[in-house]
Amino acid sequence: MDNTEARLTNCFSAIFPELTDEQIRNATSTAVRGWDSVAGVTLIAVVEEEFDVNLDSDELSRLISFRGFLDCLRDKELR
Amino acid sequence: MKLLEALNAVKEMRRRKGDVLPCDLATGFCPLHLKTFLQAELSKVFPNRNVEISEGLFGDLCGNLDRFRKSESEFGMIFVEWSDLDPRLGIRSTARWGETELSDILSTARSRALRLQMQIKERSESKLMAVSLPTLPLPPFSFTPSWQASSYETDLREIVQSFASAISRYSLVRVLNSQYVDLNSPLKERFDVESELLTGFPYRLPHASTLSFSIARFLRPQIPKRALITDLDETLWKGILGEDGIDGISWDLEHRSQMHALYQRFLGSLASGGVLIGAASKNELSLVKEALRRKDLALSSSVIFPVEAHWNPKSQSVARILDTWNINADSVVFVDDSPLELAEVEAGHPGITCLQFSTGSSQDIQNMIFQLRDLFGKSAIHHEDEIRSTTIRRMNAREGSFDRAITADFLEQTKPEVNFDFNKTMLDSRALELVNKTNQFNLNGRRHTESSWMTIITETAGFLMVASYRDKFGPLGRIAVIAGKAEEKKLKIHTWVMSCRAFSRRIEYKCLAELVARFEPEEITFEYEGTGRNAPLRDFLGEILETNPSPNCTVARVVLDRRLANFVKLPETANG
Repeated sequence: MDNTEARLTNCFSAIFPELTDEQIRNATSTAVRGWDSVAGVTLIAVVEEEFDVNLDSDELSRLISFRGFLDCLRDKELR
Repeated sequence: MKLLEALNAVKEMRRRKGDVLPCDLATGFCPLHLKTFLQAELSKVFPNRNVEISEGLFGDLCGNLDRFRKSESEFGMIFVEWSDLDPRLGIRSTARWGETELSDILSTARSRALRLQMQIKERSESKLMAVSLPTLPLPPFSFTPSWQASSYETDLREIVQSFASAISRYSLVRVLNSQYVDLNSPLKERFDVESELLTGFPYRLPHASTLSFSIARFLRPQIPKRALITDLDETLWKGILGEDGIDGISWDLEHRSQMHALYQRFLGSLASGGVLIGAASKNELSLVKEALRRKDLALSSSVIFPVEAHWNPKSQSVARILDTWNINADSVVFVDDSPLELAEVEAGHPGITCLQFSTGSSQDIQNMIFQLRDLFGKSAIHHEDEIRSTTIRRMNAREGSFDRAITADFLEQTKPEVNFDFNKTMLDSRALELVNKTNQFNLNGRRHTESSWMTIITETAGFLMVASYRDKFGPLGRIAVIAGKAEEKKLKIHTWVMSCRAFSRRIEYKCLAELVARFEPEEITFEYEGTGRNAPLRDFLGEILETNPSPNCTVARVVLDRRLANFVKLPETANG
C-alpha cells in the first residue's frame, strides 16, 4: 500500500469505521451499506481537504468506489 | 480542526459509549459537515458523554425552533444566515431582486427576526441557547457597486443588530461575537458556492470548523480568573519611579507610552466587573503611594488593593496579597515586564498565570490585553462583583478580624442578617458562578455548565437554596448555595458551596438549620468528596458528624438538632 492509498484508506475509515482495510479497498457505493448521498458528499469533502485537490463535477461519476477515488487522485498526481 | 480529525473524534466518541448528551441544532441550511464539527468539538468539551445532535428540516429555521420545544436536549445551537431572514437572500432562490421586492425582503426580514427573537426567548427560559448571527457575505442584490453600502444592506444589518441586541439580554442566550468570527475566519473564505448549490451546505470547511469551535466555547465550563496582580514600573506606567520620579513616569501619547494608559483603563474595567486588582512592585512604598495619587491615572487608584511595595522578592508580595484576598494562586494572573520576576513568582506560586508586559511592542501589549479579556471574561456581572473589593478592604481594615477570636457575642454585635431564597425556576448565574469557582468550602468540587446546572436543579424533588448575608458593615450579597433532593423525609445534598468571604460567621450552621426547618428531614446525606482543597468544608462536616466525612455520609435528624442547638446563634431571617 503506497502513501496515497494509505491516506485514502484513513479517509474511508473515518466515514465507515466498521470496515476493515481490506473491505475498504474493495468498497463501492452499492456494496457498502451506509454509503448514501451524505456519506458520498462527506467522502469528497474529506478527500479534497486531505489531499488539497478539487474534485470536479465531471469526476463525480468515478467517485463511487475506493478504486475510483484512488485512480482519480493518481491522475491528479501525474498532471 | 480538519474534517478528517472531526470524523475521527466522532468515531472515538462513539466507541466510548458514554451517557447520551442530547442537543439541538437549528439551521435553515443543510448542516452536513457543521454537525460533524460540532459533535467533534462538543466531544472534547464533554469527554464522558456521547453527543447526539438533533437537526431539523431544510429551509425552515423558525419551524425547527418550534419543533425543539418538545426536545429533551440540554442546550440548543442556532445558526442564522441571511436566507433564514428571507429565502430571496440566498443564491438557491430564483426570485427577483427589483426595487419593490427589496422593500418586501426588508419587511419579511424584520418580521422573521422578531419571530426568531420570540422563539429564542421562550426556548432560553429553560436551556442555554448559543446563537451564531449571519456570517456569509450578502448576495449582490443591490444596484450599488460592492464597495458602496446600499440602504437595503445597511437596513438588513440593522435588523440583525437589533435582533442580536435583544436576544443577548436574555440570561441563557449566548450570542457569538461577530468580531471574534471576523478575526478567525476571513469573510472571503467562508462561502462555498459549489457546496451551497450542490448540497445546501453553504460553509467552507475551515469556516464551519471555526464556528463550531467558537460555539462549543460557550458550553465549556470555564472558570474566569478572579484577580490580577500587576507590576508598576514599566507595566502600569512607563518609567522607573525611583529613577524618573513621580512626574517622570507616563502613560500618554506624548511620551509614547499610551499603551500603559490602555492597560490602566482595562484594569479599571476589570475592577468594575468584580476582579480584584493588586500591585506588587520593588519600590519605596511612600513613592508608590504618591504616584498613585496622580490625578491623570486612567483608572481609579482606589481599585488597587493591596499594594505591596518594598524590596523583597515578588513571590513574597504575591503571597501576602493572596493571603489578604484569601484566594488561591490558580485564580490569579500576575503581570510584569520582567521575565525574571515572572519566573520567580511562577516558581513560588504554582498554578498562577504569568503574563509578560512587553514594553517594546504596542501590538504585543494589545494582544496581551485581549488575552486578559478571555481569561477574566464572564457572561454577567452581579451585585456581589461590585461590592467584592470594598468588602475585602473593610474586612482588612476592621479591628478584630473575623478570622480571630470570634465569639457569639461579637457576631451579635455585627447585626447579621441571612436571607434564604428557594426559587429555582430561573437561572441564578451568581449561584452557578459560586458553584464553579469556590474551592475551599465546597462539598465535592463538581463543576457545571448552565445546562447541566439547570437540569439538576429543575428535576423533580430537586431544591436550590441560595443564602445572602449582610451585617452592620454592609452586604456580602449571595454567598452560599446548597442544592440537592428532598424525598420521603430524606434530604440528599449534592452541592454546597460558600464564599470564603463569608467564613467565620456560622452561616453554614444557619443554612443547615434552615433546611431542617423547611424540609423536616429525618436524615441528611452529603455527597461529600475530598478534593484536596476543601478542608474548611471537611472540617465543618466533621464537626457535625463527629468523625471525618466520607462519600455519602449521613447524619440523623436527632443528632443534627443537638449539634445545631449549640451553634446557631444568628438572628431570625427572612425567607424568599
